[in-house]
Amino acid sequence: MAHNSAIIDDLEDKSNVVIRNILRIFESSGMGHAGGTMSLVEIVTALYFHHLKLDLNNCNWPERDRVVLSKAHCAEAIYAVLPELGFVPEETLDKYYCFGSQFQGHADRWCTPGIDYSGGSLGQGLSFAAGMAMAEKIKTAINPPNLHVTSTNMPKFIMQYNPAYRVFCIVGDGELAEGQNWEAAMFAAKYKLDNLINIVDYNKFCLEGPTEQVMPLGPLDEKFRAFGWWVKEIDGHNLRELVDTLDLANNLYGDGKPKCIIAHTIKGHGIPLWEKLHLHYGRAEAVTQGLKEGKEIYG
Amino acid sequence: MAKFNKYIQIGKPTANAAGADAGMLKVVQKYNNVIAVLEDGGMPALDWFKKNAPNQIVECGIAEANGAVIAGGLAAEGFMPFLHAGTFAVVERAYNQIRQSIMIDRFNVKILGRDGVWGVLGASHCIVEGIGITRVLPNLVIIDAADVVETEKAFIAMSDYIGPVYFRLEDTAPSPLKIFTDDYPFEIGKAYWIKDGRDATIIATGYMVTEAIRAIDILEEEGLDVGILDMSTIKPLDEEAIIEAAEKTRAIVTAENGTIIGGLGEGVAKVLAENAPAAMVLVGVEDEFSQSARIPTDRDDLKIHFGLGAKDIAISVKECISKREKFQLSRK
Repeated sequence: MAHNSAIIDDLEDKSNVVIRNILRIFESSGMGHAGGTMSLVEIVTALYFHHLKLDLNNCNWPERDRVVLSKAHCAEAIYAVLPELGFVPEETLDKYYCFGSQFQGHADRWCTPGIDYSGGSLGQGLSFAAGMAMAEKIKTAINPPNLHVTSTNMPKFIMQYNPAYRVFCIVGDGELAEGQNWEAAMFAAKYKLDNLINIVDYNKFCLEGPTEQVMPLGPLDEKFRAFGWWVKEIDGHNLRELVDTLDLANNLYGDGKPKCIIAHTIKGHGIPLWEKLHLHYGRAEAVTQGLKEGKEIYG
Repeated sequence: MAKFNKYIQIGKPTANAAGADAGMLKVVQKYNNVIAVLEDGGMPALDWFKKNAPNQIVECGIAEANGAVIAGGLAAEGFMPFLHAGTFAVVERAYNQIRQSIMIDRFNVKILGRDGVWGVLGASHCIVEGIGITRVLPNLVIIDAADVVETEKAFIAMSDYIGPVYFRLEDTAPSPLKIFTDDYPFEIGKAYWIKDGRDATIIATGYMVTEAIRAIDILEEEGLDVGILDMSTIKPLDEEAIIEAAEKTRAIVTAENGTIIGGLGEGVAKVLAENAPAAMVLVGVEDEFSQSARIPTDRDDLKIHFGLGAKDIAISVKECISKREKFQLSRK
């Protein structure tokens, strides 16, 4: 289960690449959702460089794991990954916000290879992810795949289906005030969508201030549990915890429960000025100063 | 006695619901990726689904925002979801969800909305604005079938088309006349000339085609030869047919079962203004919500209140003809 240090060290390096790409995106655009993007860095690193089942030669491979970025204003975090996977040319990093660009202001499935969900209007991603997870369940029910032996060490074979794909949703804590998330949570539990993994980027701040003041969420873990979900809280900037928890959630497939990983994060993480400002949307000086700091830290 | 075109054989009033059921069954037989996405509002052929394809029902409960986006997610994976509920719920409650998670990606979702001014359930459920609010969404096809045959054909046609469709299920309206013969070739985006006429053209949609046919009798008694164009696809509009009508008669009356603000009439007016000037009168609901009307006793009261009956259409046709004279528009 536990991963050796070399793997984690390698992911640390990858996360620095992601950060450098994010800084490059902001440098060319001069503005962006800096805080919520930086809080996602380790989450997307763990997903895209370690955990997801992907075909680097075909971003539309039907059996790929899906990623639904509900907080689609922070698409910069995934945009920073896509050139590393070879899904878009590296120069695209300089085209964020540009007319006709593959990097739109919000994640857009229609425009960008490797993006599974067009978002922007908050609170809908978990429903979309549940729809995708439901599709996998229906296909399996209509056309059962060959039985897959998951363990040969047991006295009796434990037989179960592996999902054709899993669906990962990333929601922000601020958007959990949208009631639709809880409609989706009920739906996922009703249909036993254990192929759905929801990651909460719990960075504690939304546009107008602390989530706790704007709309208190707690106790978030108990809420998801009460809705019938498997829940684990982790440090969302700790790559070892992230990969271990993703693996754990994966191994629980078959328990009939949707999974929720509450990842405690820091808005603007990794850039001291952005952390200090709890920066939601960076413009002008906040971006320039932050980029300067970032270059000193990450090269 | 009015002379109708090919494929027209006026019969008795028949509920469109039978066409929706028959159409839905044909769709399920033709395509294996159909999913009924329910919001506790029923669905055409639901009993058949329950009995024969329970795996193809996704019940979201009274949670329309979630339901619309679940449909988007299913469509992203290759399914053809049919979403169904009252328009106030399936469209209006989830308008932004439809825009964000269905329309932007042009997902192959068919939205069946119970739409129109008639019903017993009052202003909350009896919808005047169904056409207006859906017309403005880019890439959405909007269909409003005139009778039981056209409903059945439209279900199959909208499934053959890959992309989002809004179908106005007018099942709370009075039963329309059976208008078409079974071999009528319905096509999305093609209006159909139910009857030719020299003096004026009524461009009607959905249930209002029935009232237009009844208006013809009144107008014939007064010696007027009026045509009827069935505009079953409200978006995209059949501009060619509208221009043809304008050039032929220079007097166009539109008839719709909903508000004229943003509706069929305004769409037709845009085509006329840009291509073929004609006198015009819009029949429909003015700037007002609907209200309860018992079935069938109070329906005529509601019809009179909103000016949606055959008599109102006939009056509008005569008004339109005198406007044409006033504007000195000459016919081809």
